[in-house]
Amino acid sequence: MERVELNIPSNPIFERVVRASAAEVGSAFGFSAERIEDLKLAISEAVNNAIDHGNNREASKLVAVVFEIDGDQLEVRISDEGTGVEKLDFGHRAIDEANLEAGQLRGFGMYLISELVDDLEVSSSHRGTVLTLRLYRREQP
Amino acid sequence: MSDIIRREEFGEVAILHITTTSVDAVSAATIAAECQSMRPITVLDFNEVSFINSAGISALLKFVVSARKSGYKLFAMHVSLHHQKIFKMVEMSRFMPVIEERDLAEYRVA
Repeated sequence: MERVELNIPSNPIFERVVRASAAEVGSAFGFSAERIEDLKLAISEAVNNAIDHGNNREASKLVAVVFEIDGDQLEVRISDEGTGVEKLDFGHRAIDEANLEAGQLRGFGMYLISELVDDLEVSSSHRGTVLTLRLYRREQP
Repeated sequence: MSDIIRREEFGEVAILHITTTSVDAVSAATIAAECQSMRPITVLDFNEVSFINSAGISALLKFVVSARKSGYKLFAMHVSLHHQKIFKMVEMSRFMPVIEERDLAEYRVA
């Protein structure tokens, strides 16, 4: 197993550091350019969620990101230091006229994650939330 | 004037060339602020954009809302295949269809 671990302050600028790392890990894992873009976006959404909703952008609180390559599986765990959540909504979320009229212009992140990874898990307690994403190496068409 | 948007205007058209590579939580507010100065036909040019996330999509939706209120047309140009896929997932394409640069030629000579 190969493992890469990052810890970033809860400042959105450092999400770019995680994203750059995700690109390198995805490349080392042998992903196609398109799959690397999927990985970057899914991790970006998870990290931003941890920064904004988990740690409430308190810079002293860290977001931990662990990449683990094990055979044909790439697992990414994103952890915050928040107080936990009851539930994360990964349901379908699309732009429609009603949302535009109501000014509801956010909330696509969890849905995008669910569409871009092969498997995901959420574990949450009063000590924080861990989102685990798994992507599998596939035969190239 | 934004340091991450370069404006180009002719007739009723404004092309907003996004010059940052990341349309994300860091650049979203600066990009969204440009929706205050749209033209009847506004085109967002993604030629230099390599990454868009949901924070960026939220910023782009400010243009959609502003265009709908004003009765303006909004288009996207030079959208990568990956970003076209993402736009399709959230149905952004319905509200900001992709336009080809050659389709703007008639406005440039008018």
